[in-house]
Amino acid sequence: MALKFSVRSSDILHMAEDYLRSRLDALRSNQNPDGGWGYFPGKRSWLEPTAYALLALYGEADSPAWQKGWRLLRSWQRDDGAWQPNGHIPEPHWSTALAVTLHAVHRVHDDAFRKGVSWLLSLSGAESRPLVRLFSLVLPSPTGHDPSFRGWPWRPEATSWIEPTAHALVALKRAAPQVRDAELSRRIVLGEGMILRRRCSDGGWNYGSKSALGIDLPSYPETTALALLGLQGNRDADLTAALRHAFHLWQDSRSRWSRAWLAISLRSFGTDLPVEPSEQPVARDLVLNALEVLAAPEGGFRHFRPEGIPS
Amino acid sequence: MKPCLTRRALTAALAGGLASCQRSEPAKFAGTSPVAVLRAKNYQQDLTETILEGIRLCGLAVKDKRILLKPNLVEFDAATAINTDVAVVAAALAAFRSLGAASVTIAEGPGHRRDTLGLADEAGYWKGIRGFEDHFVDLNRDDVSPVKNFASEKQFFLPNTALGADLIVSIPKMKTHHWAGATLSMKNFFGLVPGAVYGWPKNTLHYLGIDNSIVALNRQFRRTFAIVDGIVGMEGNGPIQGKAKSAGLLVFGQDLVAVDSTCCRIMGIDPGKIGYLQQAADLGAIDPQQIHQRGENPLALRNDFELIPEFASVRLAKGG
Repeated sequence: MALKFSVRSSDILHMAEDYLRSRLDALRSNQNPDGGWGYFPGKRSWLEPTAYALLALYGEADSPAWQKGWRLLRSWQRDDGAWQPNGHIPEPHWSTALAVTLHAVHRVHDDAFRKGVSWLLSLSGAESRPLVRLFSLVLPSPTGHDPSFRGWPWRPEATSWIEPTAHALVALKRAAPQVRDAELSRRIVLGEGMILRRRCSDGGWNYGSKSALGIDLPSYPETTALALLGLQGNRDADLTAALRHAFHLWQDSRSRWSRAWLAISLRSFGTDLPVEPSEQPVARDLVLNALEVLAAPEGGFRHFRPEGIPS
Repeated sequence: MKPCLTRRALTAALAGGLASCQRSEPAKFAGTSPVAVLRAKNYQQDLTETILEGIRLCGLAVKDKRILLKPNLVEFDAATAINTDVAVVAAALAAFRSLGAASVTIAEGPGHRRDTLGLADEAGYWKGIRGFEDHFVDLNRDDVSPVKNFASEKQFFLPNTALGADLIVSIPKMKTHHWAGATLSMKNFFGLVPGAVYGWPKNTLHYLGIDNSIVALNRQFRRTFAIVDGIVGMEGNGPIQGKAKSAGLLVFGQDLVAVDSTCCRIMGIDPGKIGYLQQAADLGAIDPQQIHQRGENPLALRNDFELIPEFASVRLAKGG
């Protein structure tokens, strides 16, 4: 899906440099004293913004600042292998998938990494529990979901949704070369099946279902992007129309959050996109800053790619 | 052919049966509460004056208080009326500032969409409120603190911005809701629950029970005021896929149970048949005898909102 640029390539490089530098500077200057990042400047450190910031700043992984963030993130792992969302909430959390992805990117395949993978493999949406599945045989779910296709919830005891499932798939696919486990392969197949079965009639993905009370739901840009990321490497599904839809969403979306996720996803699939305008101001939202770095042509979108998939 | 027993009906019946086994009747609210209903034809008129009048009629003290304005931002669809109109929020901001509030913050944590600021942009908030980002807090990603005994949870996390406010002003859209019957000022508190902890959607609330969660949030946050945007509401398959419905009014009050009961009567819904209002009978006034109506007479403004078949039984009797 090649696009033509209307400016010289040297200008593009210059624009991209300014764009990236401003966002990376914002991330560096908003690192908390504990080494992590909050969702917004001056706020407590959470795993999600910390993981994205560490991925965005991965070119500086040897720096003391990066290492401090890495140590903080590692310290939030629980005994059961899950990560908690920050230092104050002692509960297992979906963002374990981000921690596992970061370990895979950093090539740290130690016990912490393996326990994180095991926890992800032990988790699935509440709709997959035997009693609930039995119930669904008597009275099929109004969503039409097949509970045998096990996805991932935001937190244990809840049902599965597109976004946490996509993040878990990215993490498990990144982890796969190091974890030879039949269950891992099986969960990837089931998770992909869950995503593929929830595709909306417009070609993309909503956050959870393709319809509600018999009415088709529209897809969202950010969940479409994430669903596609989760499906990377799937050889059976024809994603051409979904990628085309994602590209149109990218063209039409004003939301920087959506555009960043779509660019990460589309670039991961090899789509050539123009750079974002360099005059775009740096956001206060630190996750958005990190995503915009990861979405840039030379950014870290490759961190979300399973190894072994050619560019 | 439609099945005679649906999953939804069975689940509701089981939940209702369980609830009736577990709960004794809540103590009834003993006091009286003022609720003001004021006409507002459209979003172009001077709504600040109308809101100031609503605040005055309800006797609300604002000076030196830290105010949190909580609109209802869900999704954007230009073809219908899902979100609180920006004109109402902008007017509330101006009104509370003019009354000497120590601070006025707009805060929301949408249930489905992660990009809160993008959603606010689509809904016209950036354009309609000068310096919007300076006044706004994304409650989904705010820092949080634990509270004890929330519904059946021993511990639950809520945003510090909401916990630290002196007054939470719930500014919902007047809508029917395909799970709860009606979504008004009490249900609007779902947006106080942080997605960063509980996800998008906040699925934990569904497992705790929608009615239980609405009431638990309203037990937690007691310093409240409501401004219900009923200028254009939503009927039918709300809160997202319904149809726009003009009602031409704003409803005000400090007792959110009384405000929502009044809104229900205006919408042609029997508040006594709405689960979360039944459960909140100790928190505020449902009985019209206990509601001091100010401004317009809500009975005269009754304007039946279309209900989906599953909620046909909550229709208020004529003259009710």
